[in-house]
Amino acid sequence: MASRKKVLLKVIILGDSSVGKTSLMNQYVNRKFSNQYKATIGADFLTKEVTVDDRSVTMQIWDTAGQERFQSLGVAFYRGADCCVLVFDVTAPNTFKSLDSWRDEFLIQASPREPENFPFVLLGNKVDLEPRAISSKRAQQWCQMKNNIPYFETSAKEGLNVEQAFLAIAKNALAQQNSTVDLYNEFPDQIKLTNTNKPNSNGDSCAC
Amino acid sequence: MSDSDPYVQKHQQLLRDLKNTVEGLLVSQVANVWSIYGGLNRLHCSVEKIFKHGCKSPGIESTSYFDFIQGLEWLQPENSKSYFSIDCEYKPHLPQNLKDDKASIWLYRSLENHSLSQKLSWLLSDKTHLLKCYQEYAFLSQEKYAEAALICLRAVERNQASLMSEINPCLFLLEANAKEFHKMHRRCSSYPDDHFKKDYSGGDKKPKGPPTKTPVIRGKLKPWHSMPSLRSDSFKIKSKQMFTQSKTTPSTPLYTKKISTSALKIDYKSMQYPKVRKSNLKKGFSKAKKETRHVIINNCDIIEHTPPLSSSQSSGGAMGNEDLMNLSTKSLPETRNLAHSPRLVDSFLPLPGEKDYRKAPKKSFIEDGGMSVLPMATGYFPRPVKGQSLLSFLTSSQFARANAELDRENAHFSISEAIISAMEQIRCRRDFKLTDDQFDDSDPEIMDLKQRIRLRRREKMVEKQKKVWSESLLSDGRTDTATTVSPCSTTPDTLSESASSDEVEDFDIDEASNLSEDHGLSASMASLYSEADVLKRPRGAPDGASDVFSAEGVALSLISKFNEKQLPRASDLEWLVSEEDAPQALLPLPKSWPVSPDDSETTSTLLRGTQEWAPPRPQIIFTIHPPPTRKTLIAKQNYRCAGCSMKVAQQYASRYRYCDYLGRYFCTGCHTNQLALIPGRVIQKWDFTRYPVSSFSYRLLEQMYSDPLFRVFELNKHIWKMSKNLQLCRRFRLGLFYLKDFIFACRFAESIRERLEQEKSYLLTDPEVYSMEDLVNVRNGDMKLRLKYLIEVCCRHTSECKLCVARGFICEICNAPEVIFPWQMRKVSRCNQCGTCYHISCWNPSDKPCNKCLRISKRRESIGNSSHDNF
Repeated sequence: MASRKKVLLKVIILGDSSVGKTSLMNQYVNRKFSNQYKATIGADFLTKEVTVDDRSVTMQIWDTAGQERFQSLGVAFYRGADCCVLVFDVTAPNTFKSLDSWRDEFLIQASPREPENFPFVLLGNKVDLEPRAISSKRAQQWCQMKNNIPYFETSAKEGLNVEQAFLAIAKNALAQQNSTVDLYNEFPDQIKLTNTNKPNSNGDSCAC
Repeated sequence: MSDSDPYVQKHQQLLRDLKNTVEGLLVSQVANVWSIYGGLNRLHCSVEKIFKHGCKSPGIESTSYFDFIQGLEWLQPENSKSYFSIDCEYKPHLPQNLKDDKASIWLYRSLENHSLSQKLSWLLSDKTHLLKCYQEYAFLSQEKYAEAALICLRAVERNQASLMSEINPCLFLLEANAKEFHKMHRRCSSYPDDHFKKDYSGGDKKPKGPPTKTPVIRGKLKPWHSMPSLRSDSFKIKSKQMFTQSKTTPSTPLYTKKISTSALKIDYKSMQYPKVRKSNLKKGFSKAKKETRHVIINNCDIIEHTPPLSSSQSSGGAMGNEDLMNLSTKSLPETRNLAHSPRLVDSFLPLPGEKDYRKAPKKSFIEDGGMSVLPMATGYFPRPVKGQSLLSFLTSSQFARANAELDRENAHFSISEAIISAMEQIRCRRDFKLTDDQFDDSDPEIMDLKQRIRLRRREKMVEKQKKVWSESLLSDGRTDTATTVSPCSTTPDTLSESASSDEVEDFDIDEASNLSEDHGLSASMASLYSEADVLKRPRGAPDGASDVFSAEGVALSLISKFNEKQLPRASDLEWLVSEEDAPQALLPLPKSWPVSPDDSETTSTLLRGTQEWAPPRPQIIFTIHPPPTRKTLIAKQNYRCAGCSMKVAQQYASRYRYCDYLGRYFCTGCHTNQLALIPGRVIQKWDFTRYPVSSFSYRLLEQMYSDPLFRVFELNKHIWKMSKNLQLCRRFRLGLFYLKDFIFACRFAESIRERLEQEKSYLLTDPEVYSMEDLVNVRNGDMKLRLKYLIEVCCRHTSECKLCVARGFICEICNAPEVIFPWQMRKVSRCNQCGTCYHISCWNPSDKPCNKCLRISKRRESIGNSSHDNF
């Protein structure tokens, strides 16, 4: 299935507010960076076509709100994710500390079949800024504890390591999808609608 | 319509005449068109020509169209009677040439009290009757011309020149375009003033009016009954005055001349007024008191002579007037005109109030806390600061504060009193000091200039004399322009008039006829405009000084021609307030009050009302008043109207009307039996009956009608039991409340977002709050349908939109792959804390805490603990 059809990789970016989730995505997809901070509401996604291991895949990157105040919106989009990107700010220790809860929250809400094998990628963002509060060693230690999560140090502002990080993310996601495609071939229809007759289709189709 | 050329020409000529007359009346934009000299006469003349044209009646011309009019007797029985029966009383006030002609009198009166268009449209509506009375070629038989005439009449009645544009211009061409006109016909024949529709009243307040046939008509009739009735007493005076002054209106030279001379006689007869016109001061002053009495009696007579009309407002006015009249007529010598002034002012009564009400950009209750809804009176009249000049006093912002209708009217009395005495003072000074120098003034402009020069000359002398007079009199406003008490009277001729001898009047009449017919109107208009330098300020501005027709506006226009140093200090004037009714704001304040020394002089602390009465406040009342017992409640109100504090004798207390909203009794002036929804009754009883309320409440309720003021479920815990629609709407509102978060955050939902943004924002953001309008819509089901539609649109989007679905919830307890949303209230329960949604079957908020909330609190703890924990 994966080889014949166009592959869609669903990637979720999580992390505290203002660690640079949206900036990373923008840098990666649009190669743009803005110093303006604008809180993300709910969640939104961008797509990007990439070639991974000579296969053309579409990455659907879900940027999320780090703030908890958007309560009326849910996180149903966690379901069916192929990879989860955790982001923290290397200059803000609290953003590092809350990585655990983000990871747990994701595993609860997304409830993948094999939580311990689900691919995460950790990004320490804002390495262009001084002073560092979280050393790369400390971050790597955390990654080792969590089943050897890949770790990248990035700067969305300068585009540093962003490309590489997302390539790794895509690879992990693809690997995840390949490994589970037999198990979860119901994936595209995993999101079922309750109040309509029409199930959500896989594509970008939207009524609007 | 078979028009051979001569007829068409005649029609056109008649219509043009009428149109010109009407335009002439309206161009000056005065509050009351009849205060234009001879206006009524001119219009009467034009209209009568129209009525006579092509009339079938074989009789003498003058009575020809009486048959036609009599149609009213069966078309609108209750209406016609009053007009035919009143003739004998009315007669003395009419121009003489009309006296014997019933039809003509009827026409005159109908014109005067602004009811002709209504009556005519009734008459015209009966085609057989029309054809019975008129030839086929008659003006009135031509539908389009008749319609155009109606438009003209309406324009006069409503004082809206703009209406004239509705007249089909083709009518003035030889080949009229009937098709085009047809459209307008419908529009024109529609009934007037829809804001009266709400009046749809159960109790017809007029004493005379027998129950009308259908409620619909009743509602529509109301304005026509009540509005002119307010004026009618003043109209008589008006009309008289117009005749006395019509010498200055040259437009209908022959006719007016005749009328005016005759009218003069009638005028004085009817006024029972001793001929003091050759007022020289010595005489005038000594006579003053006696004459006063005459005028007062007359005043009462007049008011009593208008029985079918307005028991309501005019009665209040009349009672109040008398005291004031006593005082105002002190200044007699010039009385022929001046004595009218308070009542002239009276004639503005319905207009300014109404206008303000309609014109003022409507603010909602929420915006201004109901402060723009003014009670009839607050008892406020500003006081001049010591040494303040009259001009600065009148322009002071203090007047802007006195916004209540009755206060403004009363201000007319106070101020006109001051101005009158001032004029008198100047007049007698001049009479003492100067021999009257007459010029042969044929050109009004030259005359005006000359007058000004003379005024300047006199200034100095006047000033010298000022001290002599200032104790008893209020000093000068303007020397001789007695007639200018009404803003629309003219200046140039008034000088000669002020000399007020009979010869002068004759001269004026001659002069009037000198002016050519063509220029007639414009000439008189020009004189109006010269007067109106001051009046050019924008009309209709609601508050005090900016309104030309406010007391201070009129006064300002009077004194504006004078050098300020010539004017007395405002503080030197005796302002007219009866001690007993003095608002507390005017009474000396107790010394112990902490009044800053700066304030004590300049601004009087504003207390509301008097000791016995306080004006109603703009309140929101959620509860129902206990059923009233008139006796006790009125006694509690000190036998005063809750709206304007007018006192009522105990035996007449039954006339007072209960306001269901404020739970107080009001006089018939402040309570015109308007009906309104009472929020308390809606909320407590789900009772949407309209109850009679005072005008104040009516406007207040109208103002808050669309404001979200009512948390109905808090105000009445059981209200949901009373209406299934309300239950439904509550659910829908809550659903929309959740949905809007999704829609507003979704970049694919532009169009729906725009649709939602059209709704009042509280509808989406505050699901529990309702306006009266909403409740009405809930009751009649509109709200349900509208909300349902919105919900459907939104739901369709959220279920199809990838982004919105992604933002839904997944029940983390059963982990079913189904996406759930907070608005699926039948199967979803939502944590109030974190907003997470679960299946109702999976989680019950009262059973156990929400999982996510637990995690959040745990995390908070661990962050607190782990601050020292090194990783």
